[in-house]
Amino acid sequence: MRLHTRTLNTAAALLTGATFLSLIGTAFAGAGEPGHGHTTAAIGEPAKASAAKRTIQVELGDNYYKPESVQVKAGETVRFVLKNKGEFLHEFNIGTADMHAAHQKEMAMMMEHGMLTATGINKNMSGMDHSKMGMAEMKHDDPNSALVGPGETKELTWKFTKDTALEFACNMPGHYESGMVGKIAFTR
Amino acid sequence: MDRTSNFLTRRDALKLAAMAGMAGVVTAYPGRHSFAAADQTLDLAVERTRITVDGVTSNAIAIGGSIPAPTLRLREGQEVVIRVTNRLNEPTSIHWHGLLLQGVMDGAPGFNGFVPIRPGETYTYHFKLRQAGTYWYHSHSAGQEQEGMYGAIVIEPAERDPVRADREYVVLLSDHTIESPNSVLRNLKVSEGYYNNKKRTLVDFFRDAQRDGWSTTVQDRLDWAEMRMDATDLADVTGYHFLVNGKGAKDNWTAIYKPGERVRLRIINGSAMTIFDVRIPGLPMTVVAADGQNVAPVKVDEFRFGVGETYDVIVLPQGDKPFTFFAEPIDRTGYARATLAVRDGLEGEIPERRPRAILTMADMGMSHEGMDHGAMAGMDHSKMAGMGAGAMPGMDHSNMPGMDHSKMAGMGAGAMPGMDHSNMPGMDHSKMAGMGAGAMPGMDHSNMPGMNNGSMEGMAKAAASSNDQAMGWADAGTPPGAKALSYADLKSLTKAKDVREPTHEIEVRLSGMMSRYIWTLNGNKFDEGEPIRVAYGDRVRIRFVNETMMAHPMHLHGMFMELENGQAGRLPRKHVVLVPPGKTVSVQLTADEPGEWPFHCHLLYHMASGMMTRFIVERRSASL
Repeated sequence: MRLHTRTLNTAAALLTGATFLSLIGTAFAGAGEPGHGHTTAAIGEPAKASAAKRTIQVELGDNYYKPESVQVKAGETVRFVLKNKGEFLHEFNIGTADMHAAHQKEMAMMMEHGMLTATGINKNMSGMDHSKMGMAEMKHDDPNSALVGPGETKELTWKFTKDTALEFACNMPGHYESGMVGKIAFTR
Repeated sequence: MDRTSNFLTRRDALKLAAMAGMAGVVTAYPGRHSFAAADQTLDLAVERTRITVDGVTSNAIAIGGSIPAPTLRLREGQEVVIRVTNRLNEPTSIHWHGLLLQGVMDGAPGFNGFVPIRPGETYTYHFKLRQAGTYWYHSHSAGQEQEGMYGAIVIEPAERDPVRADREYVVLLSDHTIESPNSVLRNLKVSEGYYNNKKRTLVDFFRDAQRDGWSTTVQDRLDWAEMRMDATDLADVTGYHFLVNGKGAKDNWTAIYKPGERVRLRIINGSAMTIFDVRIPGLPMTVVAADGQNVAPVKVDEFRFGVGETYDVIVLPQGDKPFTFFAEPIDRTGYARATLAVRDGLEGEIPERRPRAILTMADMGMSHEGMDHGAMAGMDHSKMAGMGAGAMPGMDHSNMPGMDHSKMAGMGAGAMPGMDHSNMPGMDHSKMAGMGAGAMPGMDHSNMPGMNNGSMEGMAKAAASSNDQAMGWADAGTPPGAKALSYADLKSLTKAKDVREPTHEIEVRLSGMMSRYIWTLNGNKFDEGEPIRVAYGDRVRIRFVNETMMAHPMHLHGMFMELENGQAGRLPRKHVVLVPPGKTVSVQLTADEPGEWPFHCHLLYHMASGMMTRFIVERRSASL
């Protein structure tokens, strides 16, 4: 769900006021990496579920994954079925450790500003396109990530193009640190 | 009660592992290693020893041959049998701090029928572990805990641990003095200021004020210069060495990591008297458990650490540069230091020491609403450094002639609405450096003739707290942009099992007479007042009202307290709640552990001088 940009700018201004805008603007000004969604080529690319020959079931809990690691092949397309058995909102994000570190800052910011809560996405503020506000990353619709609410099941299909150091991770504040991250190992 | 040591059957003996574990934090009792054998009994001897801290050797008491005592690595659901042999020439005891167990096994002499272990005797503790997490054990007899009788307990969960780490360490903080605890207490009794240049405190003043009314007391006794806040109000015993796992700052206990590893630190404040501010400069800590109970992870740069509390944190050290684990006591009389490094022998930088906080009116528990300061003639406000005037509405300062406000540095005038300063002639405000005049609406300064406002330098528009001035107990000197853990951040990872509203409320006033070194609960020394009685199964609220100028880490045995911090449905479960000076903190609990539980301030000398009561959970009588 993507609302109209202009509407959203107005809504954001109303909701949070100038402080929000300036704060975010400052925080993201000069951020070197434009964030995931733009650099996915190196880590692979999203694919249609029908293209996947293999499905991996992943359980998301508070705060862990089961399994704790997966094995894939370069060139392989994998369909991940993500079931959140926990009581908190979790993410399944495919990326490098650096990408996750950058995304953790963004998600902490989203939590701080109420776009995300510990248990879900704030319906009033989610899907906002803040790109005109100098905060292109302040939306959560990245193709390499799925946010899964408590009790929900979601899917993410991904084509792993080449062997590189990847992790799947939850970047909700504190979750990565407490171990909610797994290695994606490439096999031949 | 069976006090013999050999009633155990094979079936009773347990799967108990007293090993240092994967991290090798402490050495286990020599010769008692046994890895995860199915059935096992643990023996711990209590005996006099010597401890060497930063090259200075002094007397100490060890449990299981070392200081700290061996880390007990156990598993949730196990039946544990621990035989404690007293090789001292005085009675002893071991209390399992934070564990849920049958009353007599709690190990507090005089409670639940537990009798101290006499010299030469062996007492067999036997309990089933109903929980997981980081806890600790220590003597509950006299001052023995201060002399080295403390160790960590790590209980692995029966189910999956919600926290995953590549390695882990116990980090047990303590304070060590070469004086014997008895002489410390004797000195405190003779003069509360023994360890603090004999400065007096406000406690007596407030008592008198309560009795005689403010104006009389003010007139008769108020000599602000003499009552300036001092170290005595932050900590009353000094001269400590601060230890990490029994090692002094120079000894530099070191935890080894490989870059990129996820390291869990199980940090325990096993001090007798010391509240710490803990940080690892350059390395954020993600708090994953408080008092052994899992919390929703929260990333912080530092935390304040009450005596008896535990925090589990995850750190992700990168690179090969050593990190310094740094714990400063809140009175800033020294520091505990350890190092996280890729190999032994490395030292990180010692960070700049933080300033000691200057206590403020808010820390004195003063409500300044409606105070009448009339007729306060001739007050000498010199040396009133650092008054933080939190909320002082409606003060009438009329008729205050001849006040000398010189040298009032650093007044933070937070919110002082509606003050009437009319009729204050002849005030000398010279030398009032650094007044923060933020938000003082409605002040009427008319009719203040003859004021000398010369040299009022540096009046800040907002009460900015600079780096070299920490204002108020809660100010840990946290730099801008850094995150200090707040109790409000703690949110239980699991939902509360019992969410009934408390049916009744128990008020526990934390009070004291500093001049005689008597510390009390509800005005009564231990066993002089009525114990607290609650019915089994009841849901109760306890309100701690701290009427003193010190923080008190309040510890309840036998049950967890659920801290009312706004995290509805997920109140964090604590066995120690640090109640700041002048503040009220409330907890809820379900009285589901029958017994007669110690309920006390975990500052050792406060407990020893009376700050303890009985919290009795009794089964409802059938005859009702």
